[in-house]
Amino acid sequence: MQPLPVVQKDEAVPELRLGDVPLRQEVELISIDLPADQAEPLLERGVLPGCRICPVRSSPGGDPIVSVDGSLIALRRETAACLCVRLLTRFQEAT
Amino acid sequence: MHDSQAVLDTTLAPLVALVGPPNSGKTTLFNQLTGLRQKVANYPGVTVEKHVGKVGLKDGRELDLVDLPGVHGFSARTLDERVTRDVLEGKLEGMRAPDALVLIVDSTRLENQLMLVEPVLELELPTLLVLNMSDELDERGGAVDDEALARRLGVDIVRTSARTGVGVSAVLDYLTAVQAGDPAAPYKERTLTNVPRSVSLPVVDAFAHRRKLVRDIVDEAGFVPPGPSKLSERLDSVFLHRLFGPLIFLAVVILVFQSIFTWAVPLMDGIEWMIESSGTWLVTTLPDTWFRSLLVDGVWAGVGSVIVFLPQILILFLFLGILEDSGYMARAAVIADRSMYRVGLQGRAFLPLLSGYACAVPAILAARTIDDERDRLATIFVTPFMTCSARLPVYALLIAAFIPDEPLLGPFMGLRAGVLLGLYGLGIVAAVGTAFLLKRTLLKARPASFLMELPPYRIPSLRTLALRLLDRSKIFLKRAGRIIFTVTVVLWAMTQFPRTESGAPEIEQSALGQIGHVIEPAIAPLGLDWRVGVGLVTSLAAREVIVGTLGTIYGVETADEGSLELIEVLQRDITFASAIGLLVFFAFALQCMSTVAVMKRESGGWKWPILQFAYMLFLGYMGAFVAFRIFA
Repeated sequence: MQPLPVVQKDEAVPELRLGDVPLRQEVELISIDLPADQAEPLLERGVLPGCRICPVRSSPGGDPIVSVDGSLIALRRETAACLCVRLLTRFQEAT
Repeated sequence: MHDSQAVLDTTLAPLVALVGPPNSGKTTLFNQLTGLRQKVANYPGVTVEKHVGKVGLKDGRELDLVDLPGVHGFSARTLDERVTRDVLEGKLEGMRAPDALVLIVDSTRLENQLMLVEPVLELELPTLLVLNMSDELDERGGAVDDEALARRLGVDIVRTSARTGVGVSAVLDYLTAVQAGDPAAPYKERTLTNVPRSVSLPVVDAFAHRRKLVRDIVDEAGFVPPGPSKLSERLDSVFLHRLFGPLIFLAVVILVFQSIFTWAVPLMDGIEWMIESSGTWLVTTLPDTWFRSLLVDGVWAGVGSVIVFLPQILILFLFLGILEDSGYMARAAVIADRSMYRVGLQGRAFLPLLSGYACAVPAILAARTIDDERDRLATIFVTPFMTCSARLPVYALLIAAFIPDEPLLGPFMGLRAGVLLGLYGLGIVAAVGTAFLLKRTLLKARPASFLMELPPYRIPSLRTLALRLLDRSKIFLKRAGRIIFTVTVVLWAMTQFPRTESGAPEIEQSALGQIGHVIEPAIAPLGLDWRVGVGLVTSLAAREVIVGTLGTIYGVETADEGSLELIEVLQRDITFASAIGLLVFFAFALQCMSTVAVMKRESGGWKWPILQFAYMLFLGYMGAFVAFRIFA
């Protein structure tokens, strides 16, 4: 199983992982660094490159719970560490 | 192909498939439409439940409605997805292709949910799109232009709130039109069929493409996403709180536990009493023949030992149903995931493991919600280590006979309670150790990801709960009933042969007694003789049967776990060390043919149940041997 292609990588933006994003900070997903069979459940739920993700709380065990497309999804932190994201600029956040 | 089949099947009512993502209210709508006129079976060859029901239409005719599993897509990665796809494409054996579709989505998450819609529309079947939970959409300040959406997708649209029943009548209108052969056909040029199927495209691109289309559609339809559910947020800040979350989780587990054992006991005693007194009545009414013996000691006792578990299973499923439908179960799985993950399992395994304290049979069925195949196999492999209620009469008898009633922790806990707790602990340790071992050997895999959607909290619908209870008890009676019944009757027959001049043989000379003697050399190192050997064989029907068997062998009338007479003969005949060994044996060994049968079905072959039976027997025997040596 090959890793999914990196769809869009802006070299100027330092690579940030979803696991490092503070609560309530909305970010944009750039790529999913997971084998296809593990990425598919994410894709089906709308966790796609280009989508906006916002960590809303962490579980008692310290795993992230994120909001995507109005759905609440719980991930393991190991999975969150495989999601490359970038911060939205002020302008993008406003739109 | 579709048309010709419709012509051939003119005698059949049209078939409509209900499709939708999980948590969209699909099953609630199905129940609203079909009520009690539904049947649950398995799709041929797979462990996916097939729910089909009859819908009574407004013009007095009816049609068949099939409730497909809730799926997020059709990648066929999971069994649910494969079955859903096959049914929709009319490729599933033994099932005709649907004539129309009812597609149900949670309208508060329209954008997310429409990801499922596009591939469904590609089928070009008459389709009704049900925007469910529309009351919630309005309440939380969301909006969508139904007509624009209907035009864009080329389908009929109905708004519903399946929980309260709003809009169900409009769904019936649509189904009536389907039956009349006059459903609004999709406007072909406006469907999304021009989207290339994702075969040749990289997966991400195909999804991204679909996502963009969906975004365009919802934009055109003027969809305004609703504000976040304040109530759900507030509840989550309690239920997923770093400290309160795990505490509430524990409280819920204890509550479920309590309900299984405290509330179910009077009901179970009642059923036992009814079976016994009706058996006694049969004995006094019927002439003393082999037929009476078959009826009372075989059939009647067999039926009794199945339905005695029913109250417990009903109460368990009532609780689990409430937890599931309210949305708490998803949170519980998230809380449990970290510790389960350490063992090699995942959060969803918590539900079957908890159910295992009542009975392994429904627990193994409950593991179907685990999407990862290896995780599911590991979970159902260790589920029978959970101390099921059939072990309790065995524990109760041996503890009452051999463990003195002394305080262990001052006034807080007696020695007897301590031993019982220790036996529960033994089961947990075995389950954890086995899961750990399995995930490093036979079921080795990269750590799979765990993904759990947390639906908004909702008040469960009584109708859905009641129908599910009915459903579960039917499945339990069918699955466990058939096996326990058969085993009991076979065992009865083995006590009747070889015949002597005066009829049935003494138990020691019967086929069963002879099997006991054959087993004796194997259990002699544990300090046990043929009598317990016979009990070990009969307890394969259900563990608690050993109590009655020992009663029969020792000639004790009305033997139950509280019988003083039985306790006395056991104290005379079995040493303390052997009794402890026997307790350990029952904690580990898979003395339950119903579990073996369900395992065969759920794992798709004999490999896993055989391995499981042998492994647990080995563990039970070794454990008993070690315990016997320590205490001898």
